Amino acid sequence: MQVNRVGIVLMAFFVLIGLAMVVAPIPGEAGWILKSIGVIWFAVAGGLYLFARGQKRKAAHQDWVFQNGIRGRATVVKAGSSATVNEMPLMKLRLDLDVPGQDRRRVSRRQVMPVFVALRMEPGIVLPVYVNPQDPDDLVLVW
Amino acid sequence: MADLDATYAAFAAEHGLESLSGFAAGPLTPLLVEAGNGTLGPAVRGGLPGGVSGIAGHLAYTRNATFRFSVALTELPGTTEFAPRLFCVRRGRRTRDDEFYGFEARHSKLWTESAALNERYAVSTSPFQDPNWLRQLFSPAFVDWLATEPPADFSFELAYGALLGSIEEDRPDAAGLRALCEATSHVAERIRKECEE
Repeated sequence: MQVNRVGIVLMAFFVLIGLAMVVAPIPGEAGWILKSIGVIWFAVAGGLYLFARGQKRKAAHQDWVFQNGIRGRATVVKAGSSATVNEMPLMKLRLDLDVPGQDRRRVSRRQVMPVFVALRMEPGIVLPVYVNPQDPDDLVLVW
Repeated sequence: MADLDATYAAFAAEHGLESLSGFAAGPLTPLLVEAGNGTLGPAVRGGLPGGVSGIAGHLAYTRNATFRFSVALTELPGTTEFAPRLFCVRRGRRTRDDEFYGFEARHSKLWTESAALNERYAVSTSPFQDPNWLRQLFSPAFVDWLATEPPADFSFELAYGALLGSIEEDRPDAAGLRALCEATSHVAERIRKECEE
């Protein structure tokens, strides 16, 4: 996952509205309620930011595996989805990996994919895969 | 619609193709997904001009406005392990909206190494597509051909072994259909050759 322009606008929106609520000069109980809501909006923006930062770090690691990993082949054995994330299927894939220098093995992966790609994940399809040379379980599937 | 049927019937007769009133291609490429189940109608099937076997047909769908394309579809088995997805879409063509609530799957990246190609097309692939394979595919000769030879509104989508060439013609004539099929065949042959190498 990665943050897009809509995500950046959302974060900015939560920060600005949250700030406006916190500094609004409203006296009494109503003011405290508004400030509390503002803090919650700040917290939401903070959560989104932390999630985006984590995803960016994960993307950088995937790029490293892609550039430094051992290239192999992954054959889809089973594919299915029982959940969606932002209207994109969270696919459960079972794959047979053929990686040079490693025994053939079966692994499972969970991957959020656009609908179009998810529709094409059928048993038998062969995809490129890159495996971390130091960690055989750390892999990037090219879909 | 009668004109369209007549054009496809004449095209089929001229090239010895089977005429079909409709054909459900399925959701093989993004453009076909836009059209629901990817139903082509009218359509023709057989050995298309240019050399590949496949189906050519008329694709129409409505999303706010009605979009109409002429498409040529062929299979390229064995390409998925080299390039699962490769979209070369004419700049300015609207395809699909991939914005999802602020966070989206990291699903594509633009290939921008060729200025000549980028002037005319937006080329996108998986974010982890082997760049060396792409550099070999987009040889100077192939880039030159893509930039100058295909019909002006030509685009192609390679997705999991299916290649779809398309033009934005709502009432193509036989020459337009032939140019579409020949351009798609040329792309198919280039991709097949690169996979074999």
